[in-house]
Amino acid sequence: MTAKPMTGQAFFVLTALADGPRHGYGIVREVAELSQGRVELKIGGLYGVLDRLAVEGKIEPDREEAHDGRLRRYYRLTQDGRRALAEEAEIRAATARLVRTRLGLTGAQATG
Amino acid sequence: MSGNLERRYRRVLRLLPVWYRDKWEEDMVAAFLDSWLTGDPEDDKAIGEFCRPGWGEVASVAGLAARLYLGGAGAPRRYFAWGQAIRGAVLAITLVQATRGLDVLVRTAWGRHLFGWLPALPARMVPGTPGGILPPIVWYLVAYAWIVTFVMLVLRHYRVAQVIAALAILPDLLFLLHGQFTGRFLAPSVGPWAFWVLINLAPVLAMTAFHQDAPPPARWPWMLALPANYLLVPVPLLALEATGNSAWVPDFSGLYCLLVALVCLAHVPRAWSRQAAGSGVWSLTLALLAADAGAYRLFSIADYLHDPHLIGVSLAELVILVIAVALVAPDAARAQAATPAPAPASSPR
Repeated sequence: MTAKPMTGQAFFVLTALADGPRHGYGIVREVAELSQGRVELKIGGLYGVLDRLAVEGKIEPDREEAHDGRLRRYYRLTQDGRRALAEEAEIRAATARLVRTRLGLTGAQATG
Repeated sequence: MSGNLERRYRRVLRLLPVWYRDKWEEDMVAAFLDSWLTGDPEDDKAIGEFCRPGWGEVASVAGLAARLYLGGAGAPRRYFAWGQAIRGAVLAITLVQATRGLDVLVRTAWGRHLFGWLPALPARMVPGTPGGILPPIVWYLVAYAWIVTFVMLVLRHYRVAQVIAALAILPDLLFLLHGQFTGRFLAPSVGPWAFWVLINLAPVLAMTAFHQDAPPPARWPWMLALPANYLLVPVPLLALEATGNSAWVPDFSGLYCLLVALVCLAHVPRAWSRQAAGSGVWSLTLALLAADAGAYRLFSIADYLHDPHLIGVSLAELVILVIAVALVAPDAARAQAATPAPAPASSPR
């Protein structure tokens, strides 16, 4: 059986956690920045993704910090999550290379 | 400081199952308030008092709730069993619709002499269309759309299937509304409306149960079910019709009841054997199908009020269905506790 493909939202959430633990709203902001505003996570959507990634063992809680009388819980990538993200990034990079080749674009043309 | 806004958001979160709220509610509230509050005491006071969660936020929580209740990975066994049963029932009803579409396709092709080696199809057996304000081509497309819907579901293109099915049920709705308001139907016609709600609308809505956390349907068994079902049901009916023996064939509602009853009876040995893994979900699926078929039979009796014989036949079909489903009902009840758990949840706490 082949593994389920990673959704765009899960990819961005994992990427947001790649350089260190973040709390819920921190992830929302980071995803918006990483995607240049194209992916705007709602809180319900974010926790759907976080719950699924926790079930799959790709993220885990890191710590809790008090902020304005509320507890912020931080999440971090697990080894499995790091591996899955690296594999997905490789797949996406390979696809992007293929698209550029088929369009006959060089690196400069592709970005310009 | 965030009093009313927080209270309103917690009210929205009540849409979620309790087990999920226990796990994530405080986190969600903290993230939600972080997304609103600015750090300026004056502004935050006003925001907390007067602002409400936006529709997009409410929709995201509602979508999450639907996914959780129609369980996927990580959901408690009860929700998982119901989710699987609903997905099975939707596939079965869509299979019935697709088989009807295949029957229309075959009869139309045969009526147009595309099977040259077969004798000509009698005109009375060529599928007709209900007429009304829509041209015949629409009705043919509706029939074929169900074949596409079924194939898309099995191939796991869930949203495509749902959109096609939603479009396919619109002409029927227009036909019913037009008939009702123009007096084409003499009395409020219960049967066609029951068909539209129970056989058309219900599966389209229930296709929401096919989400990315749900285990995908077994591709080949379901794909083969379409030709198999066609050979087992429409082909014998076609033969009866061709030989002029169709008078005693039940109407669609009766046929639906009897088919579900037959499948229940075939499933009884498995349902009664405690060792059969996963039989409970099938029993629950059959119970859902029986509820759908029974409700449709019950409502459509209203169209036979002029004929005591047909009322008697309809009630007999209903009794057969109830007896058959009663045999698998205990297993269906057990399913909610005994379904093998999906992937274990690693709690964030």
